Amino acid sequence: MSTELTRRRLVVLSAAGAASLAVPGRLGAGGVLRVGKPVSSDELPVREASWYRKLPESRVECQLCPRGCQVADAERGSCGVRENRGGTYYTLVYGLACTVHIDPIEKKPFFHVLPGKTALSYATAGCNVECKFCQNWEISQFRPEQVKSWWLPPKELANLARRMGTPLTAATYSEPVVFWEYVRDAAHAARNAGLYPTVVSNGYIQEKPLRDVLPLLSAYKVDLKSFRERFYKELVRGELKPVLKTLETARAAGAWVEIVVLIVPTWNDSEAEARDLARWVKTNLGPDVPIHLTRFHPTYRLTDLPPTPVATLERLWEVVRAEGLHFVYLGNVPGHPGENTTCPGCGAILIRRLGYRILDNRLKQGHCPTCGRGIPGVWS
Amino acid sequence: MSDRLTRRDLARLLGAGVLAGAAHGRPAGRPGTVGVAPLAPADGAGVSAAEASAAVSAAVAAATGAASGEAAAVGLFSPADTVGIKLSCLAGRPLSPRREIVEALVRLISAAGVPGERIIVFERSSRELGRAGLPLRRTGGPYLCYGIDNDYDRLPSDSGAIGSCFARLVSTECTALVSVGVVKDHDLAGVSAGLKNWYGVIHNPNKYHDNNCDPYVADVVNHPFIRAKLRLTVLDGVIAQYQGGPAYRARYIFPLNRVVASTDPVAADAWAWRVLDDERRNRGLPSLTEAKRPPRFIATAARYGLGVGDPSQVKEVVA
Repeated sequence: MSTELTRRRLVVLSAAGAASLAVPGRLGAGGVLRVGKPVSSDELPVREASWYRKLPESRVECQLCPRGCQVADAERGSCGVRENRGGTYYTLVYGLACTVHIDPIEKKPFFHVLPGKTALSYATAGCNVECKFCQNWEISQFRPEQVKSWWLPPKELANLARRMGTPLTAATYSEPVVFWEYVRDAAHAARNAGLYPTVVSNGYIQEKPLRDVLPLLSAYKVDLKSFRERFYKELVRGELKPVLKTLETARAAGAWVEIVVLIVPTWNDSEAEARDLARWVKTNLGPDVPIHLTRFHPTYRLTDLPPTPVATLERLWEVVRAEGLHFVYLGNVPGHPGENTTCPGCGAILIRRLGYRILDNRLKQGHCPTCGRGIPGVWS
Repeated sequence: MSDRLTRRDLARLLGAGVLAGAAHGRPAGRPGTVGVAPLAPADGAGVSAAEASAAVSAAVAAATGAASGEAAAVGLFSPADTVGIKLSCLAGRPLSPRREIVEALVRLISAAGVPGERIIVFERSSRELGRAGLPLRRTGGPYLCYGIDNDYDRLPSDSGAIGSCFARLVSTECTALVSVGVVKDHDLAGVSAGLKNWYGVIHNPNKYHDNNCDPYVADVVNHPFIRAKLRLTVLDGVIAQYQGGPAYRARYIFPLNRVVASTDPVAADAWAWRVLDDERRNRGLPSLTEAKRPPRFIATAARYGLGVGDPSQVKEVVA
């Protein structure tokens, strides 16, 4: 197995049943990381879900995501990873990682969280929405018995991160909302191990489970797919409003929040939408929340569109910055100046990046070395 | 392994389905007609292989207007076919198509000259088949029997509102398909009989339960992988469930004592809808529509030209 696997290649391999996961440049011979024994579909361990209520006739109502699935006996919720068995709702993915990888934290992307450090990144099968442009659909749009998974309970995950020297963990790749009990306990274990747990999510979650886990997290990244309900309805099979509520809740709770917006040509690339988004963020979350405008590449069910032109990204970058947001980044455009962090006070470049690499970090204990302005983030 | 469906693929599939049938003298089918044969367990429990065989043969003959079930099968299947028989086994052994009926159907297909190694009884997973009492095997015997498990197309294929990876059995291996379902209420779809059974051949059915599964069930069946190959629907109606589905709930079971067959998959579901609503009315329950789970997908399937969706227009031919 190559030690130069890309994330996508790794995901494909893991979903296809590779018996081990590659961790480029971090390991000994072969660069192969053993993460426990594969679990067959016939022996999926189950655990009672934490957020649901029982209904008459052995039905249940899931209270994890805004979809609020009402699920009959023997059926699953829309996520495909929670099942009603005789009136009790179970998660089928607790501790069952289908992908584990060590990534630069910039890849999540978090640009204001321990720059240059790595995160033990993990995912299970399943997602509560269906983005037609999903990069990881081979795991997010499948049920747990359809992908190869490994038993990696929270404490072992934290221990693995420590052994590998990664200060961060990241629930990511598919959709952490659907494995929220695992996220919660893994974050707790990571905290106890002195690590920084993070989550990369679509933010499509009810308030109670969000509040239950937020205090455990060092950082929370939300994929804000668009600022238009039409986009959510037609390309995501979700809703915008609950995601905005999530952002407000997370920010008000004091969590470090970054936002990613994938710019899809013809769908969410108008200046008007970018302006509306920027104004909402500034008003409701404040100007210091970083926003990453990232480049779309055709995939999954959205293959008839071209990659986002860089000129489009640059135009929107200017629009959002003009609204007074302090940290606006461009993603999936390696080498672009939009990857750098600049001081909103004096304009000095504080962190220079090339793709996921940190070329230079001039921050001094979270402050600009030129003008002394504090730069928000998780720096130590 | 098939990838995304191209227009050329579509033409090939449609051509194969239509022309293969025509070349073999396949009947055009009888839109809006369901054949119904009595089948009641003598001892209140099981049915014998002989009873099931007679009932299935009679129902298929009544559905097609053929002189016998065997004659009907000769019209429906070619010796060159690979026939996939999709069962609906989610509810476990008490409310899955019984083995005797499945094997009676297999005998009819065999009578049309299809060899056992090209008659494949399948479900979403081997485990579900095993729980329903079917004998798992990938070689030997009068038919093969195994689950799709993880054998899906590598890329999704769109049909209306759905985008799914289809089981390779359906997209690639089989040239003819049969749906064998039961007659039961469904918590969201309203009716789970022959049409919704096809949710079991896509990798992501959990995504398509909004709006009473409409238009999603119809979209799945309307995909050329199924539409061009679907020859017959058979419903095990020895017992049926009028409430509390899709799982088996003993207190909502009633004896229907019938086997149903149709070359019109929509008519079979419309018939099941009528039967369930009749039973609900007799028991003082609201209709499925009043219970806010109208099986809208039946009308949508009719609009797609898949068959007759108005229950009042379905003609029941009793064998």
